[in-house]
Amino acid sequence: METRIFDFSMIGTALPDLLQYLDITLLVAGSSIAFGSLLGMLLAWAKLDGVRPLYWLAQGYTYIIRCTPSIVLLFIVFYGLPEAADSIFSYDMNDMHRGVFAVIAFTMLFGAYISEVFRAAYMAVPRGQYEAAVCAGLSSMQAFFHIMLPQAALIALPNFGNSVISLLKEGALAYTIGLIDLIGRGNLLISQNFGAYGIEIYLACLLIYWAMALGLEYIFGKAEQYLGKGRGVQAKKRTARSSKALLKRLFSAGKGGEAHET
Amino acid sequence: MRLDFEFMQETFLLVWSGAGTTLSLTALVLLVSIPLGFYLAAVRLHSGLIISSAVRGYVSFVRGTPIILQILLVYSLLPSLLNAAAQAAGLSVNIFDLIEPFWYAAVVFTLNTTALLTEVFRSSLTAIPKGQLEAGLTCGMSAFKTYLHIIVPQALAVALPGLCNATVNLVKGTSLAFLMTVKDIMAVGKIAASYGYNYLEAYLDVFLVYLILCTIIQLGYAVLEARLSTFRAKL
Repeated sequence: METRIFDFSMIGTALPDLLQYLDITLLVAGSSIAFGSLLGMLLAWAKLDGVRPLYWLAQGYTYIIRCTPSIVLLFIVFYGLPEAADSIFSYDMNDMHRGVFAVIAFTMLFGAYISEVFRAAYMAVPRGQYEAAVCAGLSSMQAFFHIMLPQAALIALPNFGNSVISLLKEGALAYTIGLIDLIGRGNLLISQNFGAYGIEIYLACLLIYWAMALGLEYIFGKAEQYLGKGRGVQAKKRTARSSKALLKRLFSAGKGGEAHET
Repeated sequence: MRLDFEFMQETFLLVWSGAGTTLSLTALVLLVSIPLGFYLAAVRLHSGLIISSAVRGYVSFVRGTPIILQILLVYSLLPSLLNAAAQAAGLSVNIFDLIEPFWYAAVVFTLNTTALLTEVFRSSLTAIPKGQLEAGLTCGMSAFKTYLHIIVPQALAVALPGLCNATVNLVKGTSLAFLMTVKDIMAVGKIAASYGYNYLEAYLDVFLVYLILCTIIQLGYAVLEARLSTFRAKL
C-alpha cells in the first residue's frame, strides 16, 4: 500500500470551508447553554428549596444524567422523542431539523451539570447575607436578586466557564445523528476526496475547537477578574462589599450590613 | 409509544457481554494514566520553563478539543503511521490485521485521561504543604523516596474525588470506541438496534447498563475514600 505524504496545505484549504459551518455548531451549543441554564436554575432551586418530591426528582435526574454517556442520551432523544411525541400528542416530529434533537439532548445534559454549579455557588454565599438583607427590610425576592444572586453568580463563574467549554466539546457529537455541523462538513469533505485527507481535515477541526476553547477560557478569566475586582486581598472575609454598600445606600444608618459578622 | 419489552430483556443480557471490553479498556487506560498523570503533574510543578510549558500545551490541547475528534484523528493517523514504520523497518507484516482496534482505543483514551489526571494530580499535589517534602529531605530521604512514601499517599487521598470523576468520565467516554469498531457496550447495543430497527429499546438498555456500571464505580470510590483518608481522622 502506498502511503500518501501528509499535505500541510490541505489544512489551510479546508479551514475556510469548515468555518462556514461553524455557525451551526455555535448555534447548537449556544441554545443548549441558554436553555440548559434555565433548566439548571430550576433544578438548583428544587435542590435547595424544593419540597421533598421535587428535591428527589432533581437529585435523581442529575445523578442519572451524570452516569449517561452523552452519545447514548443523544441517541435516546433522537430515536425516542419522535415516538413519544407521536403517541402522546400525535405530533409528527420526523421532519424536524436534526439540530432540534441535538439541542434538546444537550440542554438536558447541560442543565444537570450546571444545576450542581449553581447549587454549590448559592451555598457558598453565607446564609447571614440573606438574613441580614431580610432583617434590613428587603423582601425575600429583593434579598435574593440584589444580595444573593450577584455574589453567587461571581462564585459560579469559573465553573460555568468550564461547563460551557465542555458542552462545546460534547456538541461535537451532533454529527453522529446526521447534523451537518463543523465535523459533519469535515466528514463530507473527506468522502468527497474518497477518504483522503482525513488527517488534515480532522486536524483543522481540532485546531478550530482548540482556538474556541482557549478563547472562551480567556474571556471567562477576564470576566472573573473584572467582576471580582477589589475582593482578592481578603478571600476569607469576602462578606460581599457590594451588599454592604447597597444596604448603606438604602439605610444611611450604615451599620445594617454587619449583622452577620459575628 | 410501545416498547418491545421482550426484546429489551434479551438485549439487556446481550449488552452486558460488551461490559467486559468496556471495563478492560477502562482498567488498562487507568493503569497507564494514573502513574503517567502523576509523573507529568510533578514535572509540571517542578521542572524548568520549557518542559512544564510542553506539558501545559499538551494538557490544554487535550482538554480544549472534543474527544470524538481525537478518536477520529488517531484512528486515521496511527494505523497508517505504524504501517509505514513497519514497512520502513522491513517487516512483512500487515499492521491492519495484526493490531486490534482495541489498542488504538487504548492509546486515544490513555492520551486523553492522562491529560485530565495531570490536572487532578497537580491540584492535589499543591494541596500538600511544601514542608512535607522538606521534612522528608531533612530526614535524609531522597526526593523520590519522599514522594513515594510521604507525598503520594496524602495526595492520592486528596485526588480521589477527581479520580472518581475521571473514571466515570472514562467509562462514559469509551462509549465512543464503537467508532473504532471496538465491541464495547455501545457497539453491541448498536448492532442489536439496527438488526430489527429497535433503536430506542436497545439504547435504553445501553443506558441502563452504563447507569449500573457508574453506580458501582462511584460506590467503590466512596469505600476507597473512606479507607484511604483514615489518616485524617487521627489528626
